[in-house]
Amino acid sequence: MDLENQARVKELAEKYGAENVVVVIGGAEAEASGLTAETVTAGDPTYAGPLAGVQLGLSVWHIVEDDIKAEIDPAVYEDQVSMMEMVLDVDAIKEEVSTIREQYSKY
Amino acid sequence: MTRKIRVVHYLNQFFGQIGGEDKAGMRPMDKAGHVGPGMAFASALGDQAEIVGTVICGDTYFGENMETATAEVVDLIVKYEPDLVIAGPAFNAGRYGTACGAVCAAVAEKLQIPVVTGMYRENPGVDMFRKRIHIVETEGSAAGMRRAVPKMAKLALKLAKGEPTDSAADGYLTRGIRKNYFAEERGSARAVEMLVRKLGEQEFATEYPMPQFDRVDPNPAIRDMSKAKIALVTSGGIVPKGNPDHIESSSASKYGKYDLEGVDALTAESHQTAHGGYDPVYANESPDRVLPVDVMRDLEREGSIGELYRYYYATVGNGTSVANAKKYAAAIAKELVEAEVQGVILTST
Repeated sequence: MDLENQARVKELAEKYGAENVVVVIGGAEAEASGLTAETVTAGDPTYAGPLAGVQLGLSVWHIVEDDIKAEIDPAVYEDQVSMMEMVLDVDAIKEEVSTIREQYSKY
Repeated sequence: MTRKIRVVHYLNQFFGQIGGEDKAGMRPMDKAGHVGPGMAFASALGDQAEIVGTVICGDTYFGENMETATAEVVDLIVKYEPDLVIAGPAFNAGRYGTACGAVCAAVAEKLQIPVVTGMYRENPGVDMFRKRIHIVETEGSAAGMRRAVPKMAKLALKLAKGEPTDSAADGYLTRGIRKNYFAEERGSARAVEMLVRKLGEQEFATEYPMPQFDRVDPNPAIRDMSKAKIALVTSGGIVPKGNPDHIESSSASKYGKYDLEGVDALTAESHQTAHGGYDPVYANESPDRVLPVDVMRDLEREGSIGELYRYYYATVGNGTSVANAKKYAAAIAKELVEAEVQGVILTST
């Protein structure tokens, strides 16, 4: 996760309170999505950005996870996400992101 | 209580939390205490050692001024009176790996204290410095930070305390130093044992690994350049504007073949670089700087070469594995031979 985005997430969490922020990831593969999820929960695993050592514990989900999908107008989802859903390894992404969430999310 | 081991940590601009490629030209600076990955090292080193200072330098500045930059960095390191210097880890970042290696080698030589860095096996810094310093083998990307730090910290503490180390057990790349020891069995018995295992298709460990030389015999000279068909091939990422094949800015998974028919020179409107490992401003301004189509056309007109081959090939060399690069090269070379190209000009960044 790049430095600017880490700074943005940190700022939003401080402004609105970590309990009021939900991060939805759109990453195209499991490892990268897992790293993003880890960054906004347990802190930046690469120790390069503003979230190094900062454990925000945010609620983090991937757009292809069922709970998030259920929240979205099916027509919009069909239009914006379904195409990618067909080509991505959805099961691996779900597994990776949910594992990180269960381990580190505080909210 | 014994005194804590004083550690200085070297980082590039990115891990030093100064910024990305736009800050890569920064001169060396120092900060008291730990920065970025230093936080992970601080916890891995525990209470036996303390990171007293961090020295940060931009990768481009270091790469372009290697001698002066090394001296400047060492001067900043000396201020903290360290017992140990840790650099990186640099993973597969070439300029960063080279900088980490150069800093460690200079510190080891001038201050005579232990140094440790970490790199991916294919990092160019490995071959340059492995004989002079301890380089812990890491994964290719920063995603491996969590696994790299404890290994580096453990080795660093051992070296600082003067304890014996072993490349296999401590996870560092062999340095080509032979140590004498008394073996239980004599050489002939060990060799036969090894041969029996080999014949039985079982695993065995050689006692004397042979270096692998990647020597390429040069082609015979081209006799008459004025009749030769010459092609351009680049790892500098020059692609038609918009990067139609989506060649990745790092760890490219493919190469592209592009038409130069009727193209007299590359412009900011027609081409760009897809490369993510150098400042793209000058390459985007005039892509001829990386892929010199303009000069090749001049040579063609004045008859110095027969012709410029109609197509050029491009990929991004940034972080691309040697195995993939060999694969692309073999495929490109096959097509060039079929097209009766006699000479190739390879340009990088």
